[in-house]
Amino acid sequence: MGQFMLPDLGEGLEEAQLTRWLVQVGDTVTLNQHLCEVETAKALVEIPSPWAGVVEALHAQPGDTIPVGAALITIAQADHAGTVAEAPLAEVADGEGPVLVGYGAHAPAQAFSRRRRSIAAAPAASGATAIRETPAPVAPVAATAAPPADESAVKASPLVRKMAAERGINLARIAGTGPGGRIRVEDLASAPVSGAATLPVGVDSGEEETRISTVGLRKAIAAKMVRAASIPHFTEYGLFDASRLSALRQRLKSEPAYAQVKLSFLPFFVAALTRATHAHPIMNSRWDEEGNAIVIRKSIHVGIATDTARGLVVPVVRDAATRSLAQVAAECERLVALARDGRLDPGSMIGGTITITNVGSMGPVETGAPIINAPEVCIVGFGAIKPRPTVVGDALAVRPGAWISVSCDHRVVDGATAAQFMGALIHELEHPEGLV
Amino acid sequence: MSSATETATVTMGKALNLALHDSLRDDPRALIFGEDVGKLGGVFRVTDGLSEEFGAARVFNTPLAEATIAATALGLAIKGFHPVAEMQFDAFSYPSFQQVTSNLAKYHTRTGGACPMSLVIRIPYGGNIGAIEQHSESPETYYVHTAGLKVVTPSNPLDAYALLRAAIADPDPVIFLEPKARYWMRQELALPVAPQSLDHASVARAGTDATVIAYGPTVAVALAAAETAASEGVSLEVVDLRSLSPIDWDTLYASARKTKRVVVVHEAPIFMGLGAEIAARMMHDLFDALVAPVERIGAPTTPYPPSRHEKLFLPDADRILEAVDRTREY
Amino acid sequence: MADVISTSPMRSDASPPHNPIAELLTPEGTLTAEGERLAGVSDETLRELYRLMVVMRRLDQEGLNLQRQGELGLWGPTLGHEAAQVGGALAMRATDWIFPYYRDFGMAIVRGVDPGKLLTIFRGLRHGAWDPHEYRFAPFIIPVGTQVPHAVGYALGCKLDGDDTAVLTCFGEGATSTGDWHEAMNFAGVFKAPVVFLCQNNQWAISVPMSEQVAGRIVDRAAGYGFPGVRVDGADALTVYAVVQMAADHARRGEGPYLIEALSYRLGPHTTSDDPTRYRTEEDGAAWRAHDPIARAEERLRQRGAWDDAFASACQREADERAASMRATLIAATPDHPASVFDLVYANPPQTLLRERDAFVADLAPDAPQEGH
Repeated sequence: MGQFMLPDLGEGLEEAQLTRWLVQVGDTVTLNQHLCEVETAKALVEIPSPWAGVVEALHAQPGDTIPVGAALITIAQADHAGTVAEAPLAEVADGEGPVLVGYGAHAPAQAFSRRRRSIAAAPAASGATAIRETPAPVAPVAATAAPPADESAVKASPLVRKMAAERGINLARIAGTGPGGRIRVEDLASAPVSGAATLPVGVDSGEEETRISTVGLRKAIAAKMVRAASIPHFTEYGLFDASRLSALRQRLKSEPAYAQVKLSFLPFFVAALTRATHAHPIMNSRWDEEGNAIVIRKSIHVGIATDTARGLVVPVVRDAATRSLAQVAAECERLVALARDGRLDPGSMIGGTITITNVGSMGPVETGAPIINAPEVCIVGFGAIKPRPTVVGDALAVRPGAWISVSCDHRVVDGATAAQFMGALIHELEHPEGLV
Repeated sequence: MSSATETATVTMGKALNLALHDSLRDDPRALIFGEDVGKLGGVFRVTDGLSEEFGAARVFNTPLAEATIAATALGLAIKGFHPVAEMQFDAFSYPSFQQVTSNLAKYHTRTGGACPMSLVIRIPYGGNIGAIEQHSESPETYYVHTAGLKVVTPSNPLDAYALLRAAIADPDPVIFLEPKARYWMRQELALPVAPQSLDHASVARAGTDATVIAYGPTVAVALAAAETAASEGVSLEVVDLRSLSPIDWDTLYASARKTKRVVVVHEAPIFMGLGAEIAARMMHDLFDALVAPVERIGAPTTPYPPSRHEKLFLPDADRILEAVDRTREY
Repeated sequence: MADVISTSPMRSDASPPHNPIAELLTPEGTLTAEGERLAGVSDETLRELYRLMVVMRRLDQEGLNLQRQGELGLWGPTLGHEAAQVGGALAMRATDWIFPYYRDFGMAIVRGVDPGKLLTIFRGLRHGAWDPHEYRFAPFIIPVGTQVPHAVGYALGCKLDGDDTAVLTCFGEGATSTGDWHEAMNFAGVFKAPVVFLCQNNQWAISVPMSEQVAGRIVDRAAGYGFPGVRVDGADALTVYAVVQMAADHARRGEGPYLIEALSYRLGPHTTSDDPTRYRTEEDGAAWRAHDPIARAEERLRQRGAWDDAFASACQREADERAASMRATLIAATPDHPASVFDLVYANPPQTLLRERDAFVADLAPDAPQEGH
């Protein structure tokens, strides 16, 4: 018995419409006897029987549209139909699949196919929305494993190299999870950057250095700014009353705990920012393009945009929330001094989560719209504190004050959120006693 | 009548037929000619009914002479007509190669801009229809390698309509490649179809994990691969080039920057195919934006195989997914 | 500048080419009595023409059936071409070459090519199915008209080698529109190549009728290229046979090419993908259906008293048997290993291709048949 499938009658046709049957169930048909007439997109054609036998079933009605490869008719081999040499055909008549062009009613004796893809070998679903702040633990290369002598021996894509350079990550210190130990983007996320454990702050370890040529610093700044400027971001401005802050600073200057430091306004800004950020953790996040996610950081590491003779650098006050004002002041002073001397080790310049730019320190500048320090989502500019006409009650008074500007990555932070954050920041600055 | 919005489910062949019809209706200088485009309506029925409706002066059969079909299109263009010439099959466009590459492509330059070549050469191309030799070629690289030609290819009925109308309206010579394996592909169109530009790629499916760049016959294959990938939790973006020359790099780069992984798929041989240019450009312009080398799926450096074996040589969803896997495992 | 503008008065420097065969034809394009006498076609040859035409028609019908049954991707029916193909091929010596067009199924049968193997081309198993040297029968060429200059090249080689060989090449009337055809005609005229151009003018190039294809007459083209041409009744196998034989002898003698326009009619569709009802009516071919090559040959045999019914039924029996055998051969034909696609791209394959081949084989399913099957 054979089921005859509708063949492609004209080079790539997908279907045909049955016009009429020329046989009925029970009819004895001979090889090549016309069975039916079908109309394709190209022509009206009669279909001859591929076998001799007895018609057992018709699988379509006149008017039906039949897809190529669908059953058309079932013909049982009739014992008495021995007049046609059909033996070799009957053997292969059963169970063939859809009829394809040139493949016919008889399944090909040999079927070649491609090796199918092994789905097990495919990587697990990435989970496009999963936050991958802590993927599979990837320890820094153990002491016993000899790390590659230099980064050029590391297997990593150009993107990974670029990201590592931006983040100051020494690829030679990372064990890659890709084939043959290739370092993948995900491996960078778990690299010892946000966890300070393996990146000793302030230790100038020659082996650890990602050496940024001072000649190239300008170029690096340019590239970083171009990338950052391509991120959609906005800036909001606010003015704060610095009367109490100025008074507090004057008072603290004479206290023994601050005898060893030069107590500028900067440590207060860092401290106020840290507290405001703690209350608005979204400001302490990054946009993860790879995972299509927003990654909120626990620790607050405040970058200090610092002008140096060689250009802009951003040393980082690490774990600002755990430091006292005095400690913050000491750290700021130390980092700024090292930066100005060009002696900052790269470990001090990476891993920031939010940045301050002290625009007020630059002569007559009142304020500005800072460019965010990607991948961070927020940068805060502090203007110069100086006497300003201020409405107090119903009267005009002269009080010290300054402008604040908050720039945010608009993919992550909306205007209202930034406004609330600025409100918190101004509150901290206008009620600075809590900072001590 | 045509101003009312209506919908119709049409095949790509019918969509092309509608585009030709509407161009003849709207542009009195449009002409259609080629082998068997008259009463027969073309071997794929794309010109069905047009000679009856618009008359033999505007839709006519020519003798069997592809070089002269292309060359008379050139002459008619000088006279201010907008010819749409049909080559019956991909390999049968080769006799016209001299006229197309040496004259059509260069006439505008040669005449100091005095003779724009506002014409279209339609060519059915690609395999997968079980045809005999010379009926399954992918000649696009020959044409994209010739400056002065624009080369476009639709992957679905909607684009077929819109791109063909844009091609006919364009002042430059357009090689319009029709994926013959998709002539019977159906899609619902809202009529009238909105105009489209000739030279923009489209994101056929948005995704985040890898970009599959395809065109013409391979777009449907890429979309099928994306469907399978989605069931595995992998989000593929499918970019349909539509224009092979020029290439819409902005759309390609935006997608590649987003997904960081790129697979290019075509039926034509990998060697010096469109994928070679795409991979080379990305190597240069997106060198540090990708996490894996650009993968290419295409034919080996052999003639198109006998049809019994063509499935082994054509890109399929499985091969695309394997390439995606390679970029993701990299 | 004197070389550029001739100062000689205009003069005709060529008389019309001598055309000895034309003198042996009636205005209807059949052999005159004198022509028949000179050609000396035996009863045996006439019976052979008849037998081969019956076989050809039956095998062609089986090709059509096989396509409709999904066994072939495409078939190009030859109904109406029997006399031109059988007559033309049988007229050539076994040592002569034939450069056919894609519809020359009948010529392949005459040349002894196994039709079941030939059909594997249309089953999509391979692009070529015979050794041209073995049968002196070049492969079917799909792009219209492009085989014609190949024949001229081979014929030029025969002339250069001093062979006693003539070359026959076939094409339809559509091919005469192509540049390749005209260039080949001119080359042949210039080089006096020993080639016979046999146009099987079946009056339809798919849907385009002769009136839209050809301005003037094809046969008259020959004079423009400096050699003679004749138009013959393409449904009369005897005439085609005799005329092709005379033209081949003419070429063999070093007297240059001949063009023969065998007028016939494509009674079937262009191919199985075609639908002639869209562009012509039944009446269009009625006269030609009545002017059937096989009936014409029977008539000639009866005129000679060389007909007998037993011979006719033997021919039909042979045709049926060969149809069944062709079907069986086709269906039993196994595809070559797909890697064979790589094997003959070059006579001296580059390493790069061999590496591609290895990668292709490695990518086949592990349960795929091994190479060598």
